[in-house]
This record gives sequence, structure tokens and C-alpha cells, in this order.
Amino acid sequence: MNESNPTGPLIPPQIPTPPSPGHRTDRPLGELPDERETIPNAVAAIEAILRQPRRVMYQLRQPGAGGLIAGMLFVAVLCSVVYGVGVGTFSGGVQLWAAPIKTAGGLLISALICLPSLYIFACLSGSQARLVEILGLVAGLMALMTILLIGFAPVAWLFSQSTNSLAWMGTLHLIFWGIATVFGLRFLNADFSHTQARSNAGLNTWTAIFVLVVLQMTTALRPIVGTADTLLPEEKKFFASHWVECLKLPKPAARD
Amino acid sequence: MNSASASVGPSDFRILLEGQAGKLLRWTQPGQTRTVWLNVAAIAIGAGLYGGAMGWWRDPLQGLYVAIKFPLIILLVVLGNALLNSMLAPLLGLNIGFRQSFFAILMSFAIVAAILGAFSPLVAFLVWNAPPMTPDVKSTPTYGFIKLTHVAVIAFAGIAGTVRLFQLLTQLGGSKTVARRVLFAWLAGNLFLGSQLTWIARPFIGSPQLPVVFLRDTAFQGNFYENVFRTVAGLLQFD
Repeated sequence: MNESNPTGPLIPPQIPTPPSPGHRTDRPLGELPDERETIPNAVAAIEAILRQPRRVMYQLRQPGAGGLIAGMLFVAVLCSVVYGVGVGTFSGGVQLWAAPIKTAGGLLISALICLPSLYIFACLSGSQARLVEILGLVAGLMALMTILLIGFAPVAWLFSQSTNSLAWMGTLHLIFWGIATVFGLRFLNADFSHTQARSNAGLNTWTAIFVLVVLQMTTALRPIVGTADTLLPEEKKFFASHWVECLKLPKPAARD
Repeated sequence: MNSASASVGPSDFRILLEGQAGKLLRWTQPGQTRTVWLNVAAIAIGAGLYGGAMGWWRDPLQGLYVAIKFPLIILLVVLGNALLNSMLAPLLGLNIGFRQSFFAILMSFAIVAAILGAFSPLVAFLVWNAPPMTPDVKSTPTYGFIKLTHVAVIAFAGIAGTVRLFQLLTQLGGSKTVARRVLFAWLAGNLFLGSQLTWIARPFIGSPQLPVVFLRDTAFQGNFYENVFRTVAGLLQFD
């Protein structure tokens, strides 16, 4: 039964549009009460990094931020492993367990390699951030990246079931990784802007380094998508030359 | 009993088609389970009828298959991208939850399906008047005309659904810029997944040389984008 509403159409109050994570704002962190709410666990951390990035940024600057950092690292590892299983379904077999380990391990090693340089660049830029805050920045970057990758996982899985082309799947994963990285770096950039850094030049340089390191990691830990006789490569290669070789691989058998 | 939920019924298709944003916003609130079913029903019936008309030209059985596949593709796109779309919205400045983003997309597809359903008698009439499929059908003007009709109808329904989704997103976020950004991201994701699902679920119109099947044996071999790439590459080689 349709009931008439005497008070007219019920229109819920407008949801205020928050600034996007990449949006710079001069408003100090923790100004709003909801930003000061603690983030109790990893699930809340996922929710917060997607919807209330400023809350994460504020909490990373509070005493006892170690728990939040650990939570975000846990989320990053868990999500990488889940996405890695999706990557491994293309080849199956050994890759079902090797790809998740390589995906999660590669991301963690890349972050570890790049962490000192981010700290140095931050200091050179005049940032007041402590090492633990920088670690928090990187943990947030990885968490957001990998959470987004989980969103892409169903699409990646569908394509992995319907193609034999290694080049195609590799490209697809790179595109998904690229999109996730853009959003992760937006978070990092927004957070960095609250560290009183005088310039972003150092951060921009570090961003380029981080992207190169992760791209090279995909070659250093190959095969991740396809298969090989050994779990790790025996030959050293630059990622660009490896990818060019992959694109030149023979095409799959012709289909009707 | 939830009175808002109980008030939902077939007559509320009007709300859906008119895009009454205020009422549609209420549908996205918790406890509106019946509105989900209303939208799913709209997709199943609307897209199903259109799919039936589309496949009927080849064979009534093909019509039945397409009537099942077409709504299934739409629902799989909504479900497959639900998580990604709910993550992209807040990251692009629209702070809505999983439920709201899911309902918004479901509603837009329900509008598309309702329009398709409304056009299905016209398409069925067109197919009924068309000569039977012959092996050389693809070279005939009839085939081209029917294909173009499908493109025009589906494009019209898609545009209408997109416009309604944009209006709803603007209401949800209060900003056209943010709504446009989110809409573009959602459309890109849905188009990407939808193209591949459609590729897997072929045939739709069918071909007289091939048997009537639900899915081809080669359904999971190759993908839509590889095919497009090879076609373009073949054209550029001028062989």
C-alpha cells in the first residue's frame, strides 16, 4: 500500500562532501571530533583509510600509533596475499602459493628498501615527521593500494580464466596496480602535506623511485603471472627488457 | 514492519523511471530490502524480455538462452564491481557506503532494463517481420538494420540510466564535479567488466552456420580486448 507522506517527500540530509585524500587543505588534523576517534582494529583501519583518511593521518601522529601501523601492514599483507592468489589462478599449480608469497613479499621488500630514502627526503624537505610517522605513511600507502587491488580481484580473476595470453594478463595486472598506486600515492601526498615540509620535490623524487623499485621487483621475483622451471629467476634483467621479451612471446594457438 | 519498505511495489517503477532523487535516496537507506528485489525484478524481466526478442530471430531456444544471459550479465557486472565501486566513491570525494553505491548502480541498471523491456515488443515485431536467417544473412541489409536497431536501443537505455545515476550521485554528494568523477570511474569499470562478460556469454543474435547453444565451446578462450587489438593490428598491417 502506498502511504502518502503529509510532510512531503522525505529527503535525507545531504552528506557533506569531504575533501578527497589527494586534496590539500590547511585545516589542521584532528580539528573535527571524528578525526580524533581512535582506530581500534584492522577492519576499522580499512574503513578509515577509504572514508576518513584524515582520521588515519591524525592517529598516525598520536602516541601509540604502532598498533595502527601494524594493523595497516597486516591489511596490506593479507590483501596482497588474496590478490596474489587471484594472480596465481592464471597459471595454477605452484603459482597458487608462489604468486601470493611473491606479491606480498615483493611489496613489503619494496617498501622496506624505499623507507630510508623517504625519511631522508622528508628531512631534506624540512618535514618534522619522525621515522615512525614515515613508516605510517608507507603502511597507509601499501594498505590503500592493496585494498583497492582486492576490489579489482574479481575482474582480474575473470580475465585470467578467459585468456592464455601472458602479455595480456601481465598488462592487466600492471594497469590495476597502476590505478591502485595512484590512489595510494594521493594518500601519501596528502599526509605528507601535514608534516610541515617546505617542498614536495623530495616526495616527487621518492615517488618515482618507489614506482621503479616495485616495477623492478616484478622482474626480480619472476615468474609471478606465468610459469618457469625455477621459482626465482636465474638471469638478472631490467624490467623494461623483460616486459618487451614477454610481449614478443609466441601468440596462443589460433581459435575459431 | 518497515512502512517505507512495505510501500515499495510495482507502481514504484515510476519513481525509478522518473528518477525522483529524493525517493530514490530513501531506497538506499538500511532496511530497504524490497527495493533491491524490485530492482532485480526489473533487470530480470526487462533485460530478459529484450534478450528474448534479440535471440528469437535465430531460434526460439536461442531467445530463451539470451533471455537468461542478458539479465545475468547485468547482475554479474553489478556484483563483480560492487566492492571496487564502493571503494572508488569515497576515494573520489563521494562519501557513501557500500550499500548506497551498490543500490545506486543497481537502480541505474534497473532503469536501463526497464527501458529495454519497454522496447522489447518493438524489437520482437521487427524480428517477426524479418526474413528467416540464412547462411548469407550477414551480408544482407536486414541483418545490418537489426544490429543497428539493437545498438540504438541499448545506447538510448544506457544513456538514460547514466543520466539518472548522475542525478542520484549529485544528490548524494551535493556536487556535480564529484558526481561526474565518480560516474566516470564507475562507468569505466562497468564497461570494462561488462564487455568481457558479454564476450564470454556470446552468442546473442546468433549465426545460422553455428548451432544454438547457451555458451560457445570457446567462451573462456580469448577475451574481448585481445580480439579488438588483433582486429586493429590486422587492419594496420594492410594484408
